[in-house]
Amino acid sequence: MMDTDGPLDFESEDLIPVSPVLTKKRKKIIGLDDLLTDFYKEQGKAIERESKQKKVKKNHNWDDEDDTTQTIKEAKLSQFVDDCQQKMEAISGEDEISSWGIPVFGNQKTPPSLAFPELGSCMLLQSFMKNEINSLVELSGEKVHFCHVAGETFLDGLLVNGWLSKLVFTCGHVEKSVAKWTFNLMLYSSEEEVRTAASDFWCGILSSKNEVKIDWFPSYSELKRALETYGFLFDSLSNFSSNSELVHTDSDCGRPPQNIRAWIKLVGGCCQVRCKHSIFSTSEAEDLLGVIICLFLDRQLQGLSMLMYECLLSVISFFTEEEWDNSCEKVAKSLACRVPRDLNCLRMVECILGVDARSKLLKSTVAFEILIFCFDKEVSGAEEILRFLISINVKERSCDLFKMYIYLVLTENWLLTTPFLEDKPVIYEMWGVYLRNCSCQITSTDLRTYASKVRNRASYLLQDTVKK
Amino acid sequence: MENPSRRRVSNRGIEENTLAILDATGVKDTQDDNDDRLAFLEAVRAASIVPEHGTPPTNKMLDAIFKILQSGKSVELIMASYQLLSEIDKHFPRVYLSDVGTSDSSCSTPLEVVVVQEAWSPFVPGLDIASSEREAADRKFDGPIDSSGFHLLIQNLVQVTEETNFQALGLKSMGNMLLFQYLVNVLEGDFLPRNSVYRETMNWNLLRESLLNMLLGSRRISYKGLIKDCLFIVSTLCHVHVGFVDDVRSSENSAAKPYKDSDTAVAVALLEVEKCTCIAIQRLLVMIMELDMSKKKADMEGHTTRADGVRTPLVEIILDELTYNKDILSPFLQVFDEPKWKLEIVLQYFWKYIAKPSVRTRRSNGSTDDATLDGVLKCFSNSTSTKSIIKKISTGVAQLLLAHAFQAYLSLSSQQHPVKSLADSEEVVRGSSLVEICKSVISAFHSLRRTDEHMEILPFEKEALFTAATILSTKS
Repeated sequence: MMDTDGPLDFESEDLIPVSPVLTKKRKKIIGLDDLLTDFYKEQGKAIERESKQKKVKKNHNWDDEDDTTQTIKEAKLSQFVDDCQQKMEAISGEDEISSWGIPVFGNQKTPPSLAFPELGSCMLLQSFMKNEINSLVELSGEKVHFCHVAGETFLDGLLVNGWLSKLVFTCGHVEKSVAKWTFNLMLYSSEEEVRTAASDFWCGILSSKNEVKIDWFPSYSELKRALETYGFLFDSLSNFSSNSELVHTDSDCGRPPQNIRAWIKLVGGCCQVRCKHSIFSTSEAEDLLGVIICLFLDRQLQGLSMLMYECLLSVISFFTEEEWDNSCEKVAKSLACRVPRDLNCLRMVECILGVDARSKLLKSTVAFEILIFCFDKEVSGAEEILRFLISINVKERSCDLFKMYIYLVLTENWLLTTPFLEDKPVIYEMWGVYLRNCSCQITSTDLRTYASKVRNRASYLLQDTVKK
Repeated sequence: MENPSRRRVSNRGIEENTLAILDATGVKDTQDDNDDRLAFLEAVRAASIVPEHGTPPTNKMLDAIFKILQSGKSVELIMASYQLLSEIDKHFPRVYLSDVGTSDSSCSTPLEVVVVQEAWSPFVPGLDIASSEREAADRKFDGPIDSSGFHLLIQNLVQVTEETNFQALGLKSMGNMLLFQYLVNVLEGDFLPRNSVYRETMNWNLLRESLLNMLLGSRRISYKGLIKDCLFIVSTLCHVHVGFVDDVRSSENSAAKPYKDSDTAVAVALLEVEKCTCIAIQRLLVMIMELDMSKKKADMEGHTTRADGVRTPLVEIILDELTYNKDILSPFLQVFDEPKWKLEIVLQYFWKYIAKPSVRTRRSNGSTDDATLDGVLKCFSNSTSTKSIIKKISTGVAQLLLAHAFQAYLSLSSQQHPVKSLADSEEVVRGSSLVEICKSVISAFHSLRRTDEHMEILPFEKEALFTAATILSTKS
């Protein structure tokens, strides 16, 4: 009797660790598969309940024959439950493979204090104190001198209601204290109205066509410090592959403050005005370019992608023609050696839109550099890479089709946006051979994961190249 | 400029191949289906945008992209389809200006509007046809939008502003907001080139055939209802969820919910998307007011016919709404920052209540030529007229309007905002110099104080005075 009890206990134990997965899944969109597994689970429970009841009866019955059918039933049930679990694991496993995403933000740090005593002595307030209209506004000089808060709240209002930018544009001058103060509010204030007003103020003065004298500009180190405060993990890429599990399960996996929007806009704005004010050095701009591309890898920031695209284009346009080729390669190399070789590297390539010559070059270079890093052995040069790709036998069962998929998409992005290989028809012939390998040698009945993805992508691309 | 007819040659091969990627996507919406949709968007981009001389996507392809935006299955798909549609419009505009003759003499040669007739549009042709087939109530935002679908979308945005439960503000509302932004982009891309050529050629047909004019002329929508909804959204959307996003973060941390990227992605982007939606509505309103102005011109020149119908000018509707719905007066003026029309609205508001000189009769076209800021400020220079204004609109409203008019005036005078036509802004700013206006604003407030001794000056108005005084001290 104890024997027959055994598997049942084991089963019920098995069911327990399953449940958190289920609740986790239910939070997502409930698919048919989930409903089905739910149904099976309920069914399994019902059978279990039934069998337990029967067993209770049988405790008084001692019928051997019944007992054997019972054992068979139980074995079937246990097998059924195992199957279910395997299926579910397969489902969740697939989920993990088929989406990109690296949390690039960790825990936020305490933002610096927003108190800004220098502000009380700014010319703006000082000149006003002498004015007779003050009797109407009742902003007494005493208050401003001895209690900075009054002056600051008043200036807060000037900023939020848009008067500050009107003043600055009419007078054509931004004092250092005002510039610093608004910069801090933009990057660290937790009040939405204040931070967006400060952000609009900065974007306005940077992009203004009027002659506006700005006494102070933010430096790269200040922008970097802000990112650190938001919890940006500068080494998120390199660390991700090693402790991805850890990051994923971390419940308060960080979310950046809303100030990140202002940060992104400011970086774009600063890069656009290089002809007037040089705010960043070339290598600082390269770093910023890398940071922006990393932001694209965080799924939490997807909704801000329009902001990030604009910023990316602005940073790309920062460089001079002479700098660009070199900087582009530097950025690509530094990203390529850090990004994990999974769907994240494809996301990285795809987030760089090939809308103009520069972004095409960047896209192509990043794809190329990642491709180089993907190969264990030393390869260099376009022909050698393609020769290696062609040599891979996709029919072999040991062939890792996921890797093939990565290679395929990277090569596609590298070849289709590169400006360098136009006079090398042999490369495109080899590309055609590689595509034919992928599309013809993988059969439509191949059930390996990624078999259909590789095959479909290759045949789509093949039709495209044939036409050319 | 490429040859437009060549640009629109459809490429059947690309169409078949790219659409084939979507073949397998079914109703189940698995991760695989969404991957296929992304692959499709990526393939269209690679075929149309990336190559130097890419072929424009065919109508079927564009339909498919638009449907992906409409159905909004994931944040990634919404953003990618919105982005792609915007870029396609940039690369292959439906309506654009073209120089007649050589490009280097652009100043002297008149511009011409090129309308790509066969171009795809997210709107139903004529904007009216399809709605008779489907009941507006059970439409599911699928396929091209007609006029009632557009209004329905705006009504959905009203619901977003009324939503206080964060969970309900999920993908759906984000998708709707981006869809709306895209449609406004399309309306603008169609209207702006037509309107700028209309100003030179006075060819009313250009504007009569504009999407915006057809949309507003549709009998299937309540024009005033649509405008009221827009005003409501502008006045509330930007404030309603402020402070909300941070709450979500803290509550989520304490509850230790599992990582859900679609929800967090919506939460992170919500305020930005709402801000952009507010701006889009503002652009829509400005477009309608520009259309009204052009139509008035066409009316006076006798270019319009009875078929053009009569529509109450938007400024009048806004004025009515602001007069009778005092709650939105201040938030509306605070958000609406297009200076030219803001000044116009405020001045007309005043002008309704200012006793006009009895000698002059109102001209038939309801001319507002006298309504400059200068003219309004003069009314505050003597106590009798100040008293009569206060009696009609209260000190509080008078202060608020003065301050906003001054703010709009400053924007125009410093040309901070790109003013579409220089002539317009000069017209508004003409008369007095900046220094004089500043002085008059201050004296207007003194006059108000003299008339109403218990008058309390609110922060916004204090800031206006501060600004005026500071400008005076630097300029004199």
